[in-house]
Amino acid sequence: MRRGRDELSFLRLADVMRVGGLGLRARKVRTLLTALGIAIGIAAMVAVLGITASEDAQVQAELNALGPNLLEVLEGESITGAEIVFPVESADMIERIGPVEMAAQISTVDATVRRTEFIPAAQTGGIAVMATDLDVLDAVNGEVAQGMFLDEHSAEIPSVVLGSVAAERLGVRSLDSTPIVYLTDTYFQVIGVLEPVQLAPGFDRTAFIGAPIAETLFDAELEPQTIYVDVVEGWIDDVRTIIGHTIRPEAPDEVTVTRPSDAIEAREVTSESFRSLLLGLGAVALLVGGVGIANVMVISVLERQSEIGVRRALGATRRHIRLQFVVEAAMLSLLGGIAGVGLGAAITAGYAEREDSVVSVPLEALGLGVAAALIIGGLAGLYPAARAARLDPAEAVRPG
Amino acid sequence: MTEGTEAVLELRGVEKSYPGTPPIRALAGIDLDISAGELVAIVGPSGSGKSTMLNMMGALDRPTRGNVLVQGRDLSTLSDRRVSGLRGRRIGFVFQHFHLIDGIGNIENVATGQLYQGVSRRHRRTEAIEMLERVGLGHRLQNRPNQLSGGERQRVAIARALLGDPAIVLADEPTGNLDSKTSDEIVELLRVLNQQGSTIVVITHDRDLAASLPRTVSLLDGKVEHDSAHQDGAQTVLASS
Repeated sequence: MRRGRDELSFLRLADVMRVGGLGLRARKVRTLLTALGIAIGIAAMVAVLGITASEDAQVQAELNALGPNLLEVLEGESITGAEIVFPVESADMIERIGPVEMAAQISTVDATVRRTEFIPAAQTGGIAVMATDLDVLDAVNGEVAQGMFLDEHSAEIPSVVLGSVAAERLGVRSLDSTPIVYLTDTYFQVIGVLEPVQLAPGFDRTAFIGAPIAETLFDAELEPQTIYVDVVEGWIDDVRTIIGHTIRPEAPDEVTVTRPSDAIEAREVTSESFRSLLLGLGAVALLVGGVGIANVMVISVLERQSEIGVRRALGATRRHIRLQFVVEAAMLSLLGGIAGVGLGAAITAGYAEREDSVVSVPLEALGLGVAAALIIGGLAGLYPAARAARLDPAEAVRPG
Repeated sequence: MTEGTEAVLELRGVEKSYPGTPPIRALAGIDLDISAGELVAIVGPSGSGKSTMLNMMGALDRPTRGNVLVQGRDLSTLSDRRVSGLRGRRIGFVFQHFHLIDGIGNIENVATGQLYQGVSRRHRRTEAIEMLERVGLGHRLQNRPNQLSGGERQRVAIARALLGDPAIVLADEPTGNLDSKTSDEIVELLRVLNQQGSTIVVITHDRDLAASLPRTVSLLDGKVEHDSAHQDGAQTVLASS
């Protein structure tokens, strides 16, 4: 007499899959409709992840274009509350740090800028006047919209370059008529207007003049108000820690060093809660899909009592029956998961196309989508499968 | 255990009660031996315990008291996995309502007979085709059960039951859903298969059908009322395995 495994019921893995797929093939419309529930949930989640990833990629691309390696050095807070004054040659000092490519500073000038002398001095229009290093525009990756930026020559004469908002407020639309503006008590010729500067938004409301003319006309001290530092890629954090010690060794903590690109990145964070909401909705859809699967599987078990009975009569153990229905539910859900992932990726691509942004569907989202579907399907199948396995075979094959 | 005239199925004082007040006693102490190569009819009116008897013999249910032995193996000592294995390998079932699986073809339906024995699909299908030819359905290989007549469906079910050469085939009212001509054909097929070596038990309420088979066991109120094998003194001794 044969013993051991030959005596036991045994179902091959390939047959587990085949038997599990049987119910799906036999009822195609029901299979499609049930899988659709899961597909919608997965598609929603993949699309949310994909669209946000695409947006992130877009922001990253913008940042890269702007130059993510810019540091901005500002006065910090002193313990005593005394005014902090950076050395006049701060930019030169910082430039001597190895991985610094360029450092440029701007200094506050005690002056007002108005369209003409007939405008009251109090109506500054919120425009600051700054004496500037000539390479500051390069440091912040700014662009000139019209005319030119200050050079060695124009820095010595009453020439002014206006930020985009400053130009608008002063009514300077074109340089063709050689416009002039009134700085405290002298008319300056506007030689250039800047594009909005993303990494240094303060530039938009600033009138820039050369350091020499500022010293001459306004007795400016030229202590730097802000220093812009371009750092070699990969050295940002190292340079960041060293700047304070370089320009204010006696109290390095009183120097604030920020990275303007962080602010742009932070802009994205505001959409975080919205993203969570959408993901939550996707999860709810997925849950509903899972309940749908459980529901359909319960019905399927009721309809297929005689099949279950026959399978038991033909040697299936309770475990085999349970496995059959769990695998069927998981397959059903997997089908929806794969469709959902495809749909989600397509939605992302469509969105990116419309927004003209970078398409970025994270592979983890795809894998996660399929895995989530598989798990939900498996879980949804557990109860119906347990019911099927509990069926009394004698009862299940009884006629009528 | 050797093959031949040894008992393939033994019932020893089998009782079965179903819960209720008072409990419903479906079988009230059955002793029965079925030897290899027999063709036996179990007959009785409805309520006599035929179906319960089938469940006991087919290891679909366990007795309340007593023992069922298949080829000497006492079912009460076996786990679900072993009982299922034994059912799959040693017992074939034919049902009144055929119980074929919709959605798969005849070959696959018959091949399901060996699905739970770990037999490869290719091997199963080869055997299934042979078996379908043996029951006279060589021309119906590519069809599905729902494309067949009742008689043909029952032939598919018989082929499925015979796959893997079980020790015993239990046929529960195999002709109950068929017209008389088709019934005769099915009975004839069972007879032929029996002559080819299969041990077959037919459970039926049809006394004429039962009388036409070599051995008839009549049930009444959960007891063996009459066993034709005992008339000629061929009563099997109580054998222990």
